[in-house]
Amino acid sequence: MAGGRDVKRRIKSVENTRKITRTMELVATSKLKRATDRVRAARPYAEALEEIVRSLYAPELSERFPLLRRPEKLRRAAVVLFTANRGLAGGFNANLIREARNLLERLRSEGVETRLDLIGKKGIAYFRFRGEEIASARTDIGDNPTPEDAESVIAPLRDAFAGGEVDAVYLVSSEFRSAMSTPPIVRELFPIKPETESAGPVSYILSPSGDVLLDRLLPAYVRNAVYRALVENAAGEQGSRRTAMKNATDNAGDMLERLTRSYNRARQAQITQEIAEIVGGAAALE
Amino acid sequence: MSEKTLRVRVVSAEEAVYEGDAASVVAPAWDGRVGILPGHAPMIALLGHGELAIDGPDGGSETFYVAAGVIKVEGNEVTVLTEYAGSGPPAEIPAAAILSPEDVEELAAEGQSG
Repeated sequence: MAGGRDVKRRIKSVENTRKITRTMELVATSKLKRATDRVRAARPYAEALEEIVRSLYAPELSERFPLLRRPEKLRRAAVVLFTANRGLAGGFNANLIREARNLLERLRSEGVETRLDLIGKKGIAYFRFRGEEIASARTDIGDNPTPEDAESVIAPLRDAFAGGEVDAVYLVSSEFRSAMSTPPIVRELFPIKPETESAGPVSYILSPSGDVLLDRLLPAYVRNAVYRALVENAAGEQGSRRTAMKNATDNAGDMLERLTRSYNRARQAQITQEIAEIVGGAAALE
Repeated sequence: MSEKTLRVRVVSAEEAVYEGDAASVVAPAWDGRVGILPGHAPMIALLGHGELAIDGPDGGSETFYVAAGVIKVEGNEVTVLTEYAGSGPPAEIPAAAILSPEDVEELAAEGQSG
């Protein structure tokens, strides 16, 4: 019974695959838990820092602070793409890469020169394959990014913007809305545009001067935006992977059910045939 | 009439470290320790490195060692943003520190000459 044995082999192989996807789902679930905690924990700092920068910010400061400069014309822009180091996360990486490609195409069609900074193996592999010029590529940021990681990612770009080498910096990363919803978004990191409140400004005692304060806090503000992108991306990756692996596990279950049924049918058919043969043989002897 | 307690939040980039009411706060500003009582004028100041003491409304107090950051006081709300907060000095100053100990000295020197 060749058919039956083949089906049996497929059942074994699907079972093994399901074991793997289920384990990956469990791993992603536990990592997701930690990652969402980090996203949540990072929020108060981001909000408070934004509030402080906003209360110090005034549009006319742009002349004195290189980090606040407002280029008249967009000549050269940096695109920073955050992807995961690992695949098997559904459309997570593909969506991010598509978003980055759209942004690059849009910028180029407007005659803007672009530079590409990549974080995560998946984005690097894609753009390297396409033969794009890559300004920097990093794969050393793991599942638990730290503010120091963010600092090391953004420091060169911050200097490039302040020095006038680039006129804009875009971050392409995923926004962590929930474990199920992690859409890719583009954030404009530079030029900095804090929303200014028109409501009566409070006059603060500033120590040291407002200039020194801004000078110190702007880099932290920028770094924090990148840190946020990193933690949200890490959480998004785990969320997408969990969903993808859950679907894979469920599909394997469905497939097993169908295969088992066809295996049973094949076995039963063989038994029935054997009985028919025996009965036929016995009848022939009479 | 101002209320008699401060609402204090201490947050680092990675987590919210402390949140609660306080009768007074003593923070290590870049140019020396600064005490904050309810009704303090709005203030934004850089933090140096040192102990942050939060005295609870019913006695009791909490101390953290903070390394660099910024403090904001507005309407009895005290927000402390710091690069590091722990029970003792950090093993190493975070690379992303807003104000390293050397910066503090530099600023102080500038303040005296200017």
